Amino acid sequence: MSIDYTREISVIEGSPSFSAVNELIARPLDEKPDKKFYFALAITLSMLGTGAICLGITFWFGTGVWGLNNPVGWAFDIVNFVFWVGIGHAGTLISAILFLFRQKWRTGIARFAEGMTIFAVMTAGLFPLIHTGRPWLDGYLLPYPNQHHLWVNFTSPLLWDVFAVSTYFTVSFVFWYIGLMPDFANLRDRAKTKIKKIIYSIFSLGWRHSHRHWHHYEMIYLILAGFATPLVLSVHTIVSFDFAVSILPGWHTTIFPPYFVAGAVFSGFAMVQNVLIFIRKIFNMEHIITMDTLEKMNKIMLLTGSMVGYAYGMEFFIAWYGGNPIEFFVFVNRAFGDYAWSYWVMVSCNLLFPQLFWFKKIRTNIKAMFVIGVLVNVGMWFERFVIIVTTLSRDFLPSSWGFFTPTIFDLGILIGSFGLFFTLLLLFTKTLPVVSIAEVKAVLDHAQPKHHHGE
Amino acid sequence: MSSSKNRFWLSLNNYEEKKSFRKIQKDEFLEGVTDDFNLEKLPEISRRKFLAISAATTAMAAVACTDYRDKGEIVPYNKKPETTTIGIANYYSSTCSGCNNACGILIKTREGRPIKVDGNPDHPINKGKICSAGQANILNLYDPERLKHPSKNIGWKYQKESWENINKDIISALEKAKSENKEIAIVSHTLNSPSAIKLIKEFKEKYPSTVFYQYEFFDNNNKREAWKKCYDQDKLPSIQLENAKIIVSLDSDFLGNEGNFIENTAKFVSKRNTDNLDDFNRLYVVEGGMSLTGLNADYRLRLSPVKQLDFVLSLINELIFVRNLNYSLPSEFADVIKKYSLKQFVEKNKLNEKFVKHLIEDLTQNIGKSVFLAGDKLDYETQISINLLNEIIAAKSLFTDNNASLSNEINDFEILKSTNNLQEKTQFEWLVNKLYNKKVSIVIHLDCNPAFHLSPDYGYDKALKNAELTITFTKEKTETSDISNYVLAINHDFESWGDFSTRKGIYSLQQPVISPLYDTRQKEAVLLDWLSGKPNEFKEDIYHKYIMTNWENNIHSMFKTKTEFKPFWYAALHDGVVNLENDIQSNFSFNINSLSEIKPQNIPESITLQLTNNYTIGDGRFANNGWLQEIPHPVTKVTWDNYVSISPETAKQMKLKNFCMAEVSLGNRNLKLPVVIQPGMADNLLCIELGFGRWQVGTVGMSVGVNPGIFLDKFNNKLVQDVKIRKIQGQYKIATTQEHHALDDEFVKDMHKKRRIIKEATIEEYKKDRKILHHDHHPDISLVDRKKYTEMKWAMAIDLNKCTGCGACVSACNVENNIPIVGKDQVLMGREMHWIRIDRYYSGTPEEPAASNQPMLCQHCDNAPCENVCPVVATNHSPDGLNQMAYNRCVGTRYCSNNCPYKVRRFNFFDFRDHFEKGYYYQDSLKMVQNPEVTVRSRGVMEKCTFCVQRIMEARQEAVKQNRKINGNDVKTACQVACPADAIVFGDSNDKESEIYKKRHHDLSYHVLEELNIKPNVTYIARLRNIKSED
Repeated sequence: MSIDYTREISVIEGSPSFSAVNELIARPLDEKPDKKFYFALAITLSMLGTGAICLGITFWFGTGVWGLNNPVGWAFDIVNFVFWVGIGHAGTLISAILFLFRQKWRTGIARFAEGMTIFAVMTAGLFPLIHTGRPWLDGYLLPYPNQHHLWVNFTSPLLWDVFAVSTYFTVSFVFWYIGLMPDFANLRDRAKTKIKKIIYSIFSLGWRHSHRHWHHYEMIYLILAGFATPLVLSVHTIVSFDFAVSILPGWHTTIFPPYFVAGAVFSGFAMVQNVLIFIRKIFNMEHIITMDTLEKMNKIMLLTGSMVGYAYGMEFFIAWYGGNPIEFFVFVNRAFGDYAWSYWVMVSCNLLFPQLFWFKKIRTNIKAMFVIGVLVNVGMWFERFVIIVTTLSRDFLPSSWGFFTPTIFDLGILIGSFGLFFTLLLLFTKTLPVVSIAEVKAVLDHAQPKHHHGE
Repeated sequence: MSSSKNRFWLSLNNYEEKKSFRKIQKDEFLEGVTDDFNLEKLPEISRRKFLAISAATTAMAAVACTDYRDKGEIVPYNKKPETTTIGIANYYSSTCSGCNNACGILIKTREGRPIKVDGNPDHPINKGKICSAGQANILNLYDPERLKHPSKNIGWKYQKESWENINKDIISALEKAKSENKEIAIVSHTLNSPSAIKLIKEFKEKYPSTVFYQYEFFDNNNKREAWKKCYDQDKLPSIQLENAKIIVSLDSDFLGNEGNFIENTAKFVSKRNTDNLDDFNRLYVVEGGMSLTGLNADYRLRLSPVKQLDFVLSLINELIFVRNLNYSLPSEFADVIKKYSLKQFVEKNKLNEKFVKHLIEDLTQNIGKSVFLAGDKLDYETQISINLLNEIIAAKSLFTDNNASLSNEINDFEILKSTNNLQEKTQFEWLVNKLYNKKVSIVIHLDCNPAFHLSPDYGYDKALKNAELTITFTKEKTETSDISNYVLAINHDFESWGDFSTRKGIYSLQQPVISPLYDTRQKEAVLLDWLSGKPNEFKEDIYHKYIMTNWENNIHSMFKTKTEFKPFWYAALHDGVVNLENDIQSNFSFNINSLSEIKPQNIPESITLQLTNNYTIGDGRFANNGWLQEIPHPVTKVTWDNYVSISPETAKQMKLKNFCMAEVSLGNRNLKLPVVIQPGMADNLLCIELGFGRWQVGTVGMSVGVNPGIFLDKFNNKLVQDVKIRKIQGQYKIATTQEHHALDDEFVKDMHKKRRIIKEATIEEYKKDRKILHHDHHPDISLVDRKKYTEMKWAMAIDLNKCTGCGACVSACNVENNIPIVGKDQVLMGREMHWIRIDRYYSGTPEEPAASNQPMLCQHCDNAPCENVCPVVATNHSPDGLNQMAYNRCVGTRYCSNNCPYKVRRFNFFDFRDHFEKGYYYQDSLKMVQNPEVTVRSRGVMEKCTFCVQRIMEARQEAVKQNRKINGNDVKTACQVACPADAIVFGDSNDKESEIYKKRHHDLSYHVLEELNIKPNVTYIARLRNIKSED
């Protein structure tokens, strides 16, 4: 059998009809949830509940219930924050950057990835709020005029975080919402109950599928894509400044911004890939979220994983080449010190396993790619753990070195963060179209009929 | 405002509309108090801005006014007490009775409550310095578990009883004992109070069957007896360490916890002045364990205390027969000595030859300027031979016979032993036998705890059951009070009257600074009450009057002054001390016959256990003091525990690991406790600290450590032979404040030197090259213009030549700055809150380590890395160079702490007062211990050393009042005042005349982590080791 390489591969396989697409994507919203859904929701809600209880105890007694100590002032709290912000990177990258680059294969996954971005950033945003000693005073981080002449400190990277993350969240949310508008209108038109009709009417903001609407829509979508693109790069750059701007050896490195962004895209794609594997199966969307799309995502993971691996090597090299003995010690300590195990978990998960994606067989094998995706996220979580905890535990003065051991409350809140993320995700699948109906219709083979030469 | 028709005027200046007054009136507050608040600018606010501000204010009011803390009520004085002005501290001089050194103290009170204790600068012995226990004693005053009333044992419990009833019962019991001629035993710690001794004598007159027993848990009986044998004097001399060139400590922790270590420290460091290099003393330490003195040694030799006698005899041999020092020994003894060759001893024990060589050289070159200090725990024979050694090197010239020996006047056992030919060897054996023979009717414990202190060999608690009546005077529950019929709650030292004399001609007074908090009485007053026989007519000032009368009759007359008694008394009370200042004739003639007491001993092969003094909680009496339990051990940095320490080599042989559990046993007595492997310890030696393991004590001290007192024999011998140690199941959690890593681990070895945290040189290196520390210095370049501090700039310098690492500064800081006690569980988590800590680094090998101490506190960097990362500017810089914390602005992100290279910031992970033992430190009485000038930090807030900003503010206030500029010397930080070695200097580094300026520009000055260019303001003066250049 010969393959025609001159032909573009169909983004959506099998040329389903417009109404079939409507039916398929809207079906989860029309049907009552089945037992499996409730079972899954029960699991995620209990995870969320665990986190909530741990958090309640933290608020009642103080951050002391966590394993933090004097040299290690940040551990799971900030690790989780950076981890979830990282997860939140794939969505906007897929929907904005790939949109600008006219990568049509993004269509099937963009909506879902964007949703994951929103939820991941929400989860992430929780951590800076709860990690403070007095969370009820978090409002102090906002610059507002007050009679005390108190102002925030614009030289603090933590303040940059406040702006970076909130801007990213806002723009991602608006972008997501704009993309949803035509679908809301579609759902409104299909709605059979009055309540649904009212809700969808409100959210569709009076969308009537007119040409003028479409025209404006395309313009604003393009503008927002352009607006969101630098944010994808800036958010994790600024998160990395939390570390790079400090004076701690092991944190104070210029490689952090690109390294963090690559890592974020890496982990974000792994998470999106993991979740989509379930979604396309459960909702029978294998022809919309195609194997080809998954493979492309795996390729991106291979690329970003290698970039992260390069950064690991470069960090070590610079630590040695820079001639700062304290910095070099920190890196040797990462690899061979008390927390060496976490370093090697990180290296194997992030650098070694993704290299298997060089093989097409593995790239296109659902089970294999799922396992690798999970490992990447484990590895990326440990990357942040290594950066934050090992660096803090042994810094300048050997007299004040310490050791961090997590408590059940640390673990509980970590579990709770997954609970929150997946609960939101589950609710999302039952309330909103997980794939953009309008966009998918636009990339169907028969949407833009054209003559095929040589046929 | 400036209308001349002012109806009301504040002063003549105001009335006359003087310009200066207008300015004052306009600014309302003087310069420096308000920085950018300008009344005139207020009307400039536009309508929009006004709206914005009011909107924001409303929003904030809604959010911020939620009252999450109960602020309680503030009740003003209805009638102002004559001597108290709110906000102004009163100071009273008094005397500390925490141990029998009786140091002079100055108690600071605010609104009538004592909040801080410092040494009394007028006191001729401790000269304004006081140890960590003395500082923290204030917590005992407010301890909620102090006994609040007298009580009576009614079989199953102690029931509250009135003083009148109890006294009535006791008086009739005393009369009964008198009529039956049965013994009334009074057990006490060593008394050094002239009035109390007079009182005891009077008591004995009224009740002739009274026998007085006095003891100390940490005694120096061996030393005293040896001295008596050699010099026929009852009391030990004091040693002029300030005149000694070569000091050799033989197991004597004279800087840490033996004798008056505060005085010793001051004298010792007086010859550690970097500006007077030729006058540097040299400290040799020969010891088994690792002591605080050992940490400060120039040369240290590890030697088991059981080998000390051989070592001393070998030294005598070397000095007399090899170096031919002129000293004639009796021939019999010379024969004995001839068998001890130093060379053989060194070879046999594989000692450091250089050490011995230098020691001998130094001794021979410094005759009359060298001294051997014998440890209290060394045995009688060793003590005698050390006395001989001191004779040989003419150390006598450094001895002063100025100790008072009041206690000898009433030492019944000693007096009777010589006349009555008593069978018993010790006083308590005597007492216990009499108890069993029903000869004792009443036992009175005068604020002492023999049930905890005495060797189990006595079976004291069982013997006590044979007494008809047991009365215990005590401040809090003790092992002894728990087996008494009457427990009489007594005043704390700060509620008591007293007088003390530990040196000839020096008398100090103790005065109450607060009236008794509870229904307690002073023990002497109760005794007086019994003597009067009228329990219903008790008056609070009965002992006060007694002391006054005693002073009037006996002490005033000694002074031969024309001043009448009343002024004399008030002057004495004001100063806290009077000093006769008469010339002291020291006359020591060595009795050569005493040498016959020295008999050669076989050095035991078995393991020796050395029971040592602890550094903080005294003989166990401070066990319920959380501040003291939490001060890290100066050597091991362990808190809240004792443990058995062991040398690395012996640990390896016994297969013991750090922090594993072990069982130490002697015969059928055994003790299970954790192991700490201590570098620099002698092999085949175990060390355990005494004073821990109280079993009848308050919540804080309960189950802290174990009691190795079970290994003591009747002679209170601290060296125990034939003990066994074996590993048992389990790992123990020891709370240390410094991570333990193996000394020989190449990975982290000597990191403090490599990172230039500790810079050191030898004296000779420094003499040759004054810039020796600064050769690796590069000029720091900065990309941006730094803020210049042209006016006042606070800075501190710490002289590491002087710092011994005793920890008095930590205790002082705790009290001054309301530092919370976090408890063992939190120290284990690494959350101790001390604002100043003493880092201890080892270099060299685990067998022969050299130690370096470094007090570490906030460095108040000009270019502080904590400041720029705080998102809410809660930590910022003052114009006079202080790194400040605004607690109420702090949100608690902990970023500042992460970015602090010195890791001196402390985070309130909990409300620690609430967290510790379910709110123990939230109890009402403990609120009174807080310094009202320092905010008590809530949970979730970062804190750190402030350079005692409250003291700076006080000095500034004073300067403003006097209309002058504040001077750097006006301020002394709490740690500086406390430091017994005067190692800390504080002041204005821009003042070229100041001490701090000189220190900062000293050749030996350096900053820790200088290369970060964060410009710290704590300067360290590098330690010079006084070792010979060839080493």
